[in-house]
Amino acid sequence: MKKKSLWRRIRENKSAYLMLLPVMIGFVALTLYPNLWVISLSFFKYDGITTPDFIGLENYIRMFTRDPGWWKAVGNTFIFAIGKLVVEMPLALFFAVLLNRKIKGTGLFRGILFLPNITSTAVMSVVFALLFSAYNGYFNSMLLKLDILERPVDWLGTMPAAMIVCILVSTWQSIGINTILFLAGLQGIPQDVYESADLDGAVGIKRFVYITMPLLARMVQVILMLAIIGSMQIFDLMKVLTGGGPSGATEVMMTKIYSYFFPSSYAASVVSQVGYGSALGVVASLIIGVVTVIYLIMSRKMDDIA
Amino acid sequence: MSRSRKPTEKAVGTRVFNGVSYLILTGVCIISLFPIFYVVLGSFKSNMEFLTAAGKLMPKSFDPVNYINAWETANFARYSLNSVIVTLCAIAGAVLLTSMAGYVFARGDFPGKKMIMGMFLGAMFLATGAITIYPIFSLAKGLHLNTSLWGLIVIYIFTIDVSQVYLVMGYVKGLPKELDEAARIDGCSFFQTFLRVILPLCKPILATVALLTFKTVWNDYLKPMVFTLSNENMKTLTVGVVSLKSSGGGAGAYDIMLAGTAISLIPMILFYCFTSRFFVSGITAGAVKG
Repeated sequence: MKKKSLWRRIRENKSAYLMLLPVMIGFVALTLYPNLWVISLSFFKYDGITTPDFIGLENYIRMFTRDPGWWKAVGNTFIFAIGKLVVEMPLALFFAVLLNRKIKGTGLFRGILFLPNITSTAVMSVVFALLFSAYNGYFNSMLLKLDILERPVDWLGTMPAAMIVCILVSTWQSIGINTILFLAGLQGIPQDVYESADLDGAVGIKRFVYITMPLLARMVQVILMLAIIGSMQIFDLMKVLTGGGPSGATEVMMTKIYSYFFPSSYAASVVSQVGYGSALGVVASLIIGVVTVIYLIMSRKMDDIA
Repeated sequence: MSRSRKPTEKAVGTRVFNGVSYLILTGVCIISLFPIFYVVLGSFKSNMEFLTAAGKLMPKSFDPVNYINAWETANFARYSLNSVIVTLCAIAGAVLLTSMAGYVFARGDFPGKKMIMGMFLGAMFLATGAITIYPIFSLAKGLHLNTSLWGLIVIYIFTIDVSQVYLVMGYVKGLPKELDEAARIDGCSFFQTFLRVILPLCKPILATVALLTFKTVWNDYLKPMVFTLSNENMKTLTVGVVSLKSSGGGAGAYDIMLAGTAISLIPMILFYCFTSRFFVSGITAGAVKG
């Protein structure tokens, strides 16, 4: 009896299923299938041409025991993500506080601050590579002219300059969106909270620390999570700006994985190592997932304390 | 005495603070805009100027010769056409597919709805980008879609941004249900209600979806790069610009590279100037919901 009614409900909703069909095709073909493919290929040795060779956990053993290059890329990803967080978040919050004041022209400032966000990371990396170029880059020429530098600095060819440049360029591009998210959070705080704080004598920094920050906490959690996940998936910037160099110092998880799938770009290996790249991909997804879960648990604990 | 002094002190303090705020914000805006100005001004420089006067921003003259060279000899006419075609198709696909899915999730009541929605949410945690591009590319190869722009187009159309589906769903949920009921009484089916009643009302949110898709696809690098690795004529603007950097040509291509960069940046920026409010609200809403 129940089964029949289910069948009827399915039949009655034929058009709903049909309307979902294209999205489902996209989901299965471009999300589900590639993920399952990567997971299963991570147990094979596969060069992209000959038949895949089942090797069990060999790819994972190789990764965990004899691939310091990969773990360096993982480390670099964390250095980049944390460095960017430390530089960008306080600045974004500061700009949001400035923009939240009742001064003229905030709309224009907001629009300009946000502009880098709509440009292509890859294309702007080309531009920044020119600006920071060692020999005829704009910044070196300027700094030499102003006698701040004695000789040109190879910004993208030395450490830690290359990583710092990556962090700054990425901050340049995404600070606008974080400022606006913080601003939305600030504007969501009801005005009467401040009025009663005023009566209690909470002003200036005190007001910011005891009133604004706790009320902003929810928004901060969301912003931080988006920023962390975004930074860990970074690819375009490193691929174009530094190519992972100097000698792997700005190589991140995604560029490393890419170089195993499409090795012609720069030499991690000469032949594709699709199986090994897949194993790295699985572990990279797990790392990002674990970081996200740890972050969620931590921020929930903070909620309990507050 | 003290009563009358306090407000003026406060006013002076506010004015100083406002002045400092303006100063900082202006500085930040200059930093935000500087690379763009550098590109636009640099695109009028000759290669010689690049090599000998790298510290100068202003070009000697505003001669459009670099643009003509990029457009005619460096294939940027083709790249631009490719970018326009791919982006337009992707926008059409995204608007159509996300509006249907958003409507079905908001108004439909059918077995499996919760499961399908859960699957979509879960998809946000699955791997993408550099990790899954290889199987996607080999899938396209298997369907013989890798030799023309169609492969790229089909993939963009079917790549659904889940947060956009949720945006549309939220919007449809905000529309009064009486509309649907009235349409149903007038004899509209579930699909006709969507087409005749809901879709026209969704214009504002679909404009946001179109803008977000425009931004993503026009600026995308990984997918078009992989799909055009062996086919120069299928490159999009982004890939074309970057390939000039990596091929380098030594010091030979600065002029064309910057003109090409300007060609790829300017449409986006012009569009942004007129729609920045929608852009900003759309992207922030998409980010938070996602």
